[in-house]
Amino acid sequence: MTRSLSLTTDPINEPALVASRAMGAGMGAAITFSGVVRGSEAGEPIAAIDYEAFVPMAERQFNLLFDQLAERWPTLESVRLVHRLGVVRVNEASLWVEIISPHRGEAFAACQWLIEEMKRVVPIWKRPLASA
Amino acid sequence: MTIPVQLWSYFRDLAGTSRLDVELAAGATIAQLLDAVYLRHPELAGLRKSTLIAVGVDYQRPDYVLRAGDEVSLFPPVQGG
Repeated sequence: MTRSLSLTTDPINEPALVASRAMGAGMGAAITFSGVVRGSEAGEPIAAIDYEAFVPMAERQFNLLFDQLAERWPTLESVRLVHRLGVVRVNEASLWVEIISPHRGEAFAACQWLIEEMKRVVPIWKRPLASA
Repeated sequence: MTIPVQLWSYFRDLAGTSRLDVELAAGATIAQLLDAVYLRHPELAGLRKSTLIAVGVDYQRPDYVLRAGDEVSLFPPVQGG
């Protein structure tokens, strides 16, 4: 399984990511997930979220998760994951995940598992920024 | 030995610092390091149960025996996505 990880302060350019997709002839499923900043946090309106990461550990933990992904779903061809850091405004994507596999079932399951585990072990924190 | 401790997210805000050095005897565990940290920063002590602990870039448990050169990070539950 090939893997690509980016922790970046740049906006997530989803059309460019999709345009750069590489997919083998035996693959029948390419699923993507975008996590987008909501306009409220704990019932209060917000303008943005400021994401902080312990970057070397976040990279290590993501790669450990990718290892587990490949063990759990050995047919996956690739995973690509982009996580924004710094200030991400409401309606902008903070997370983008792509999974490519022969069939949709394992792609959806793997994507769901990866995001749940990310929220458990990858050292990234968010600080909501109030609306002006 | 001196063990550097990095604080992340709101732990840093509560303690008013992102880093402290903790003096420990050889063979000390993370649990003993936490006791020393909480003596200096009691504002963090109430969060002990939910505190996540890393040595370098890997998670460790409180019974981990520290060695000279280890760098410890303490942080609250993570919130990516």
